[in-house]
Amino acid sequence: MPFFAGDIFVSEVYNKPVLDQAGEEIGKLKDLTLGLGDPFPAITSFIVQSGKQSFVVLWDQVNLFNRRVISVNLLKSALHASELSPSEVRICRDLLDKQIVDINGAKLVRVNDLKLGDVNGKICLIAVDIGLRGILRRLNLESRGERFLSVFHYRLPASLIGWHYLQPVEPKLSKLTLTVSRQKVSQMHPADLAEIMSEVSQKERSAIFGTLDVETAADTLHELEPSVQADIIDDLTKEQASDILEQMPPDEAADVLGDLPEKKAEELISLMEKEEAQEVKELLEHEEDSAGGLMTTEFLSFPPDMSVDDAIKELRLEAPDVETVYYLYITDDQERLLGVLTLKDLILARPEVQLRDIMRSPVKTLPLNAEQQDVAEFISKYNLLAAPVVDEDGFLRGIVTVDDVVDFLLPPASRKKRRKL
Amino acid sequence: MSVFERIKSYLANNRFLVLLSVIGPGFIAGNAGNDAGGIATYSIVGAREGYGMLWALLLITFALAVVQEMSARMGVVTGKGFGDLVREQFGVRVTLAIMALFVFANLTVTIAEFAGIAASMEMFGVHKNISVPVSAVIVWFVVVKGNFKQVERFFIVISLVYFTYVVSGFLANPPWQEVASQIAMPRIRFDRDYFLLFITMVGTTVTPYMQFYLQSAVVDKGVRIEEYPYAKYDAYVGAFMTVFIAFFIVLCTGTMLHPAGIVVDSAEDAAKALEPLAGHFASHLFAIGLLNASFLAAFVLPLATAYGLSEAFGWESGINKTFSEAPQFLGFYTAFIAIGAGVIMLPGVPLIKIMFLSQTVNGILLPIVLIIMLRMVNDKEVMGEYVNSKRMNVVSWITVAILILLTLLLLVTSVLA
Repeated sequence: MPFFAGDIFVSEVYNKPVLDQAGEEIGKLKDLTLGLGDPFPAITSFIVQSGKQSFVVLWDQVNLFNRRVISVNLLKSALHASELSPSEVRICRDLLDKQIVDINGAKLVRVNDLKLGDVNGKICLIAVDIGLRGILRRLNLESRGERFLSVFHYRLPASLIGWHYLQPVEPKLSKLTLTVSRQKVSQMHPADLAEIMSEVSQKERSAIFGTLDVETAADTLHELEPSVQADIIDDLTKEQASDILEQMPPDEAADVLGDLPEKKAEELISLMEKEEAQEVKELLEHEEDSAGGLMTTEFLSFPPDMSVDDAIKELRLEAPDVETVYYLYITDDQERLLGVLTLKDLILARPEVQLRDIMRSPVKTLPLNAEQQDVAEFISKYNLLAAPVVDEDGFLRGIVTVDDVVDFLLPPASRKKRRKL
Repeated sequence: MSVFERIKSYLANNRFLVLLSVIGPGFIAGNAGNDAGGIATYSIVGAREGYGMLWALLLITFALAVVQEMSARMGVVTGKGFGDLVREQFGVRVTLAIMALFVFANLTVTIAEFAGIAASMEMFGVHKNISVPVSAVIVWFVVVKGNFKQVERFFIVISLVYFTYVVSGFLANPPWQEVASQIAMPRIRFDRDYFLLFITMVGTTVTPYMQFYLQSAVVDKGVRIEEYPYAKYDAYVGAFMTVFIAFFIVLCTGTMLHPAGIVVDSAEDAAKALEPLAGHFASHLFAIGLLNASFLAAFVLPLATAYGLSEAFGWESGINKTFSEAPQFLGFYTAFIAIGAGVIMLPGVPLIKIMFLSQTVNGILLPIVLIIMLRMVNDKEVMGEYVNSKRMNVVSWITVAILILLTLLLLVTSVLA
C-alpha cells in the first residue's frame, strides 16, 4: 500500500512528474484508471507519458502518491508500454469536464475537478468538484483566488458532490447522471447532506454550512460527529450559530453546546431566545451520558381531569413542537408524574371520559443520573418508544426517546456510525 | 388510405417542405452576420470603391459557406454546442480564454447593435431614449417568453426584411452591364486603402458569433442526423443570403454615392446621403434595413453568448426553458441586453472606439475558433464517420488559412493605425 496522505484533487497530480526507484523521471502523469468499488471506485493504475510513449503503472507499484511527489517501486527500464483495454474508465479522459445532468436529464454543471480520498485503505474517487474553487484549482489559482475574494469578505464555497450520488459510469460516456433531481439537490435529506459534508474538508464544510437554511442546518448539524459539530459552530458567526441552536430540539442543542468550551457555550445561550435558552441550560446541568443529558424537555403532558376529547384537541396543537406523540404523560399541577397514556389508548377511549380513568399507573421511570447503557436496556426491556425521566421528588423532568439510545440497542456491527472525517 | 392521410404523407415526403422545416439556424446565423457593423462596412465599400470590390463577395460566400457548414455538421453530429466541445476536448484553460474573448467581443458588438437601432430610429424622428429601451424590452420578451419554434419563425420573418436592400439596389437602377464586367474582370488595386477595405469586409462577414450561434441553435432545435443534408443546405443558403444582401448594399451605395464622390463613415451616413440623390423612399428603405439588421443581431449576439457560456460551464440552456429551469442562460441573456442597451443610453459613449475594440477582439478570436473547429471536425472520437473528407479538408484548411491571414493582417494594420 503506497503512502497516501489526505485528500487529493486530480488537478493537483495531473501532469506531475513521476519518479522511478532511482529518482529518475519516467514521465508525466496523464490519467488515472478506475476499477470497481461501491460506492467509491478505487484507482487501479495510472498512465505516465514520456514523449510519445505512455506507460501504465499499477497501483501496487506506487511508492509515494501526494501533491508533491509521485514515485514508483520500479526502475524505468522495467516498465512496459501501456496496453489498456478500451473498456477501462479513465478519469481525465472520461470524467473531467464532462456534463452532469440530473435524473431528468436537465443539465446542471460540469465536472470541474475530481477528489480522491482514502476509503478503507484504498485510494478511491470520492467526489466531484462542481464549484468555482475547482475551476481555480485547475488554473493553479485556488489560493490566490481565495485571498483575492477574502478582500471582499467572500468565502469561496466548496461545491462537492459525493460520488455515490452519481450513476455508475462507462467508458467514453458524454455525461454523468446524478441519481437525484435538481430540486432534490437543494432538498436533500439532512442525513445525506451530512454524508456529503463529512467527505469535504473542515474549511469547505463550514462554507457549505453557511449556505443552508437554518432548519436544514440544524437537522444536518445533529447528524454530525460531536467534534465536527464543534468545529462548525466555531466557524459560524455567533448569530448564525444561536439561530441554528434555537431551531434544534433542546436535547440536541444541549449536546452540541456541551462539547463547546464553557465560555463559548454560555455566550451562545445568552444569544438564544429566553425560553429555548432556559430549557437548554437545564439540560446542560446533567451529565451528557446520563438520562438527564440524553432527555428532551419537550413532551406532552396533560392534567388528569381533562377529557379525552379535549386532550385530542390539545394534542393537535402541541404535536408540532414535541419529539414524540406516542406517549402522553399525566401530571399534576406541579408536574409530578401520575400516569401515562399511549396514543392508541387515547384514540380508542370514549371522548367524554377523563384521562385519570384510563391512564396507566404506576409508571416505570428513570432517575436523572441513570447511565446511557441502563437507559437503553430499560427502553428495550419494556419495549418503549420513550422513557420518562423523574428527579428524586417524582417530578417529571423530561423524556428519553428511543432514537437517542438506539445505537446501544443494536449489535455493534450495524450501529449507525456518526459521520466524521 | 384516406385523402387526408395521402396529403399528409405527401407533405411528409416532400423534400422541399422538409427543407423549409429544417431551415433556420444557418439562415438566421448568416443574416445576423449582416449586422449594423456589416452594413456600415458594405455601405463604405460601395461609396468608396463603387463596384470595384464586388468580386470579393463571391470569395466571401464560399469561405462563409465552408465554415458555416462545418459548424452545422458538428452541431448535428455531436448534439453539442461549440462551447460544450471546446470544454470537453480542450479543458478549462482554453475554454476560459475563448469565453473571455467571446463575451467581451460580443458585448461590444451588442452595444453597436443598439447604437444601430438608435441611429436608424433617429432618422424617423424617434429619440434614442425611447427607441433603445423599447427595442431592448422586445428583444428580451420574445426570447424569454417565446418557445424555440416561435422565436425561430420570428427571426426568419425579420431576416426577410433584409430584402429592403434588394429593393434599394434596384431602385438605384445600376448599369447592370458595367456591374457584370467589373465582377468578371475586377480591377484590383494594390494600394493600402483598397487592401484594408477588403480585409475589413472579410472580417465583418465571418465572425465567431455566427459559428457559435449556428451550432448552438442546431442543437437547441434538435436537428437529427438524418436531417443533416437539409441542415447543410440551411448553412449554405444562409451564407448565400448574407452575401446576396451585402451585394445589393454595395450596389446601392456604389451606384448612388460613388459617382457623386460622397464618402461615408457609417450606415446612417449612407442612408442620409441617399436622400437628396435617390429620394425619401430609397433613403428610408436603407434606414429600415439598418434598423432591422441591428434588431436581429441584438437578439442573436446575446443569445450566442448565453448559449456559449452555458455550454462551457454545463448549465441548462435553451429558448424553451424558463428562468427557473435555466437561470444562468436567461440571466446572461438578460444582462447582455441590459448592458448593451444601457451603455447606449449613457451620454458621450465613444462608439467608434468600442467598434474598433470589438473588431480587434473578434480578429483575435476568429483564428482560434477556426483552428479549434478544424481540429475537432477532424477528430474521429468527436465526429465519428462525419469527419472532413480529404477534399473537404484541403478546401477548408486553405479557406481557414486565408481567413486567418487576412484577420491577422487586419489586426496588425488596425493596431498600427
